[in-house]
Amino acid sequence: MALYSNAPASYADHTSAPIEHRFNPYSDNGGSILAIAGKDFSVIAGDTRQSEGYNIQTRYARKVWQLTDKAVLATNGFAADGNNFVKRVKQRLEWYEHAHHKPMGLKSIARMIQTMLYAKRFFPYYVYNILGGIEEDGSGAVYSFDPVGSYEREACRAAGAAQSLIQPFLDNQIYFKNQTPETGSEPFIPGNLPLSTVLSLVVDSFTSATERHIEVGDGMEIYVVMNKGRTTDDLLDKKKLGPGMEVEELGALGEGGGERTFLVRAALKRD
Amino acid sequence: MWKQRSPGQSSFNDYNTFPLPQTQRVQPSYAHGPTFHTQQPLVTGTSVLGIKFDKGVMIAADNLASYGSLARFRDIQRLHPLGQHTLIGVAGDMSDYQWLQKELDALLREEDALALTDSHPSLSPKNIYQLLSNLFYARRSKMNPVWNAVLVGGWDKVKAESFLAYVDLLGTTYTAPTLATGFGAHLAQPLLREAYEAKAGIDGTGPLLTQEEAEKVLEDCMKVLFYRDARSINKFQIATITAEGSTISDSKSADTYWAFAEGLRGYGAQTQ
Amino acid sequence: MELNGGSVVAMIGKDCVAIASDLRLGNQQVGIASNFDKVFPVNDKLYYGLPGLATDVYTLREHLRFRVNMYRMKEEREITPKTFTHLLSSTLYEKRFGPFFIEPVVAGLTTPTPLDPNPKPYISTMDTIGCITTPKDFAVAGTAADKLYGVAEGLWEPDLEPEDLFETISQTLLNAVDRDALSGWGAVVHIITHDKVITRTLRARMD
Repeated sequence: MALYSNAPASYADHTSAPIEHRFNPYSDNGGSILAIAGKDFSVIAGDTRQSEGYNIQTRYARKVWQLTDKAVLATNGFAADGNNFVKRVKQRLEWYEHAHHKPMGLKSIARMIQTMLYAKRFFPYYVYNILGGIEEDGSGAVYSFDPVGSYEREACRAAGAAQSLIQPFLDNQIYFKNQTPETGSEPFIPGNLPLSTVLSLVVDSFTSATERHIEVGDGMEIYVVMNKGRTTDDLLDKKKLGPGMEVEELGALGEGGGERTFLVRAALKRD
Repeated sequence: MWKQRSPGQSSFNDYNTFPLPQTQRVQPSYAHGPTFHTQQPLVTGTSVLGIKFDKGVMIAADNLASYGSLARFRDIQRLHPLGQHTLIGVAGDMSDYQWLQKELDALLREEDALALTDSHPSLSPKNIYQLLSNLFYARRSKMNPVWNAVLVGGWDKVKAESFLAYVDLLGTTYTAPTLATGFGAHLAQPLLREAYEAKAGIDGTGPLLTQEEAEKVLEDCMKVLFYRDARSINKFQIATITAEGSTISDSKSADTYWAFAEGLRGYGAQTQ
Repeated sequence: MELNGGSVVAMIGKDCVAIASDLRLGNQQVGIASNFDKVFPVNDKLYYGLPGLATDVYTLREHLRFRVNMYRMKEEREITPKTFTHLLSSTLYEKRFGPFFIEPVVAGLTTPTPLDPNPKPYISTMDTIGCITTPKDFAVAGTAADKLYGVAEGLWEPDLEPEDLFETISQTLLNAVDRDALSGWGAVVHIITHDKVITRTLRARMD
């Protein structure tokens, strides 16, 4: 060492400070999700791109999952955690049905998700969850979660890579933030918009996010859960859907309580 | 506006040579902290490519297992059949790959034995993929990853359709009509997608590539990888999985062209 | 950018442009003032906004005032939005390796001339070292930039008349800054038309 008046940093590093190389068990797979509650329906949507860094891994990976006849879950963040979390939620729902001979209600699913997320508080699922569906009283509901289980019921929520782009737009269009009704007219009440309006807002949100965010695009899947007895004309009327959009009814998972779930698919830009 | 992930956060190095090779640093004897299972890859394989064609699916990988930047083992087969209708192509740590081979072969032997005495259904490509996904995710959750990226190719006999999927050391999974790991994700995937979409269209509804076309595009991709991936060699195999079963080609080389190198100036020993 | 906070947005309409900003000045998470204007006039058809480090806002504003006055005296005419953008850009690039922490937005109308009888409404924005972009729809900058992008992409449409453009830019700004902890505390909007500039101060959430 005396050869060097100032030993190269790399020499000292070998012995005094070993280079730490630790396995990172997480990744971020991009994409975005959102959900909006209506009076007697709920809409839960997500894009279908899965990416890591600047690479698109696949143009079709699922982020939105039908859990029961009245509950749909959207997951976003680290895809491996998301898929495995959904798998465990579905398993718990199956156990519940075997034990109680009925499917779990929406608010119970929400509470179960909170405990399942918090159970891994010190090695969390790196996943943002949004649960949508029909509540026991027949109203459309949205529950949103953080990765460690904090949750609340809301009228709408966006999450994921484009949350910052979509959420303020929804604040304006769903919660009517910064809008005042003309004097003498009805006050705005969030969560009462007609389905056709909600669908347009969902499509606009994702096309906007696709335009300005590189991790959002390729396609979207919009799940619509409707309360029993509700008309489906406003969804199934082809003229009311945008061009290139397709609707498909998903059959009842259990005995079927009358709630109906539809899946609307639409293309997004691939660049 | 959106921050680029720093390379240090990734399992890949700056140049996305997969996976991250690193020299073991000397640990002072007093530095024995808590035990970490965390390993690092030592002897590694580079890209694996996969593409669907009209009668099945093809997977390609070269024959090199590197030790850091040293081309250490130049006749390693990184394609491994699992039963009649499934085949995996493996990148990443080769000792983890050999362990995987041993485990999976043992499992398949057990399945074969059961099938002798009973009407026991054989494992479908999807079953094997599910098993690998669960294994990789469980191991990453124990902070003891299986340091590989795997392409699973197969023929689903029940649905009569091809199967192609990816799983890696994080438990990340996905399927697509064309797939590539590591460097191949940058260099080959665009070429594979271009060839696939030229016939099938962006929605994949058109006709798929023929066997000859698929083989040609894979050979082209392996050539491009050989030109630009410093951890590759020009000796590779292509596996083909169809309804008839899986076959693995003999090792072959792509025709390469180096005449342009004569005109290069600034590298090497030329004086002018 | 995150020291003082603040955001600016500009939009193109039919024969008009709009530029708007919030009014917050902060010291990281602490709000200091709710009257900190970030948008300044060059003349009655050209405004620019300077979101970013407050001390650089003043420095750059005074520097530009000087340069524009010199231009006016030498050329004996008003500077056009395009020329002003390039003046601003080169001013920023002069400090390439010790930049002003400002992401400017320019919005203006060009007076028709015999050479250019039908000029289009003009907006531009640039990064801290002066790399210019001239969008055909809207430009955003500041700590709420990503939120502004999302809302503007959803609300903006081509060929808005001045009053509709006012509503669009106001809603865009207010809803974006309400989701940004470092922007808000009031807002000011300027609608620039060929015969007048309408300036309105907006009430906003004060949290």
